[in-house]
Amino acid sequence: MSSARILVVDDEPQIRRVMLTTLVARGYVVSTARNGEEALEKVREERFDLVLLDINMPGIGGMEACRLIRSQSDIPIVILSIRNTEKEKVEALDAGADDYVTKPFSMPELLARIRAALRRGPLSTSSTAEVLNLGQTVINFVARRVTVNGTDVRLTPKEYDLLRYFASNPDVAIPHAKLLQAVWGPDYGEEVEYLRVFINQLRKKIEPDPSHPAYLLTEPWVGYRLSLPKD
Amino acid sequence: MKNRLPLQPVIVMRLLGALGIIGAITVFYFRVFSVNNVTVALSFLLAVLVIAARWGLFEALVAAVAAMLCFNFFFLPPVGTFTIADPQNWVALSAFVVTAAIASHLSTRVRKQALESARRQQEMERLYTFSRNLLLLEVHGPVAQEITNLISQVFELPGVAFFDRSSDRVHRAGPHDIPVEATKLRDTAVQATVFHDAATKTTVIPISLGGPPIGSLGIQGTQVSETALHAIGNLTAITLERAHAQDVATRAEAARQSEELKSTMLDALAHEFKTPLTPIKAAVTSMLSDSDINPTRQELLRIVDEETDRLNFMLTEAIQMSRIEAGQFRLHRSPQPLSKIIQAQLDKLGEDLEGRKLTVEVPQSLPYVSADREFLGVVIWQFLNNALRYTPPSSPLTLRACAGEAEVIVSLEDCGPGIPEPEQRRVFDKFYRGKDQRERIPGTGMGLTIAREIVRAHRGRIWVESKPGKGATFSFSVPRAPKESGL
Repeated sequence: MSSARILVVDDEPQIRRVMLTTLVARGYVVSTARNGEEALEKVREERFDLVLLDINMPGIGGMEACRLIRSQSDIPIVILSIRNTEKEKVEALDAGADDYVTKPFSMPELLARIRAALRRGPLSTSSTAEVLNLGQTVINFVARRVTVNGTDVRLTPKEYDLLRYFASNPDVAIPHAKLLQAVWGPDYGEEVEYLRVFINQLRKKIEPDPSHPAYLLTEPWVGYRLSLPKD
Repeated sequence: MKNRLPLQPVIVMRLLGALGIIGAITVFYFRVFSVNNVTVALSFLLAVLVIAARWGLFEALVAAVAAMLCFNFFFLPPVGTFTIADPQNWVALSAFVVTAAIASHLSTRVRKQALESARRQQEMERLYTFSRNLLLLEVHGPVAQEITNLISQVFELPGVAFFDRSSDRVHRAGPHDIPVEATKLRDTAVQATVFHDAATKTTVIPISLGGPPIGSLGIQGTQVSETALHAIGNLTAITLERAHAQDVATRAEAARQSEELKSTMLDALAHEFKTPLTPIKAAVTSMLSDSDINPTRQELLRIVDEETDRLNFMLTEAIQMSRIEAGQFRLHRSPQPLSKIIQAQLDKLGEDLEGRKLTVEVPQSLPYVSADREFLGVVIWQFLNNALRYTPPSSPLTLRACAGEAEVIVSLEDCGPGIPEPEQRRVFDKFYRGKDQRERIPGTGMGLTIAREIVRAHRGRIWVESKPGKGATFSFSVPRAPKESGL
């Protein structure tokens, strides 16, 4: 199937065991870590394509580990947590996670999420311009580079995919569900809070005034819209 | 009982003194220094005036009569007899008596007033001391006895009795036991009337703070005026009320802490149980997703999977319940499309329907509601789950939603056995489960309580209508979102 490398971070040995067995059987290359510190070390030393990260762990814990991994890498991070409140989800996404799965989960569901997170989308590239110019912000989709006033800004893969989808559908209101399905995968559609978090992060990175966005606009009741400069 | 004439030693001494003064004046003018009668009369008058002012009416009257007799006998012609020849001399005589009466009356009044104000001042000082001590009183523990002791000490009363109605106990203090029976104190508290016994110098008053009496206070002795006694009663009532309020607050706080502790433990416990459930669920679903699994194994694994889900569901309910009870859940309300929330819950239902007929009458044009999407979803889920569990698998369900002026009402109608009238009010109570269902159907009895608490937090209403044998309709309402707001 695939030989993507996955790092499983959990303090529960039985969870590491079951994940190792299942994921290896599916053709992934799996490595495990028992806590946040060990995970950071492994991410520094080896190259991984995905991190499955538990939240409630001794030591620095999953949330902080997520923040630290995100600060040095664009690697997709999927959180696995027993807590399922919206507050926790938003906090994890804010910390840089790409997705959030509640324990206990069914394996087919997790595998679908893993596939979605690993998917680096050629998302209808045909209609996407190579370079999108938003005044001070310039996005080069070929080189995967975003510059604001000439300085490089780093986007996470999900932020990049989201921006790319907007760029291929400019000046149209895109419903929440459509955005989620296009960027995360066909199993998504209800996770409006994901969009809230990611749009906020994108605004912080590309908008001149994030609290009064000029490009990434909210369409009340519907979704979001990318407004191109009129010149 | 009438007071006897005050013939105490002091009075006798004063009488002798008064007679002595009159005698001395008589001797002086008769024997030593002869002057005219007017001077003599004025001297007598002066003496009577002084005696009246200093000592009082009785002494002054005796002095006046003695002066009149002496003046008549020794100075008025014919001297040596008690005969009064000139009628003008009657005037002189009556002047003595009237002077004595008026002067003594005035001075007595002034003296009485002085005494009275001194007594009042002392009473005020004592009341002040009493109230200050009450304020400093530690209101934990047996306050009533301490107040009783305090009254006896501060007002120097020989006996004090206090009846506390809330504990139905009589507290006594002071060097002498006050001759009032407990029943008398109790009666006063119940009837709210003042009781006074002059023979034993005891007074019993009811104590209240606006409402019905909370007790009664009996004192022995006359040094406390009725006004002061009522002031003491009011201060006592306030202190008792304060102690009572503090007691209630302490108990409520203790109950809250214990409830919080319980919730925290339940929450932690539920999480601990979910940890081993995670590898079980992962392993069993992983095996189930193998395509070449034999049907027997698949069935057995499915049982494991379903039971894992059930255990997980119960733990989730326990966590939700503990959060709600600890008052920890906070709603994140925003305008939400209710139809989408309903649809999401229906999607979750999936196989749980087991081929049951579910009619959904939810218009797409339903207005937005001001709600927490997650929690409102839980309410709908609980309704559906409740209906699926407590009605026969063959009976159809109808889910409806309709918009009113200010709210949207969602209801789920079933064609099950219905709920008897007395049970209808209790179905939302924690751990309450219908009489017939308790043994047959597994459940925690928390689902509808969770739903009720969430709806209440949304300021909505939740209710059930049912006729036994004709099914039940569970409904809740949730406020509509303000028109101008957007997502």
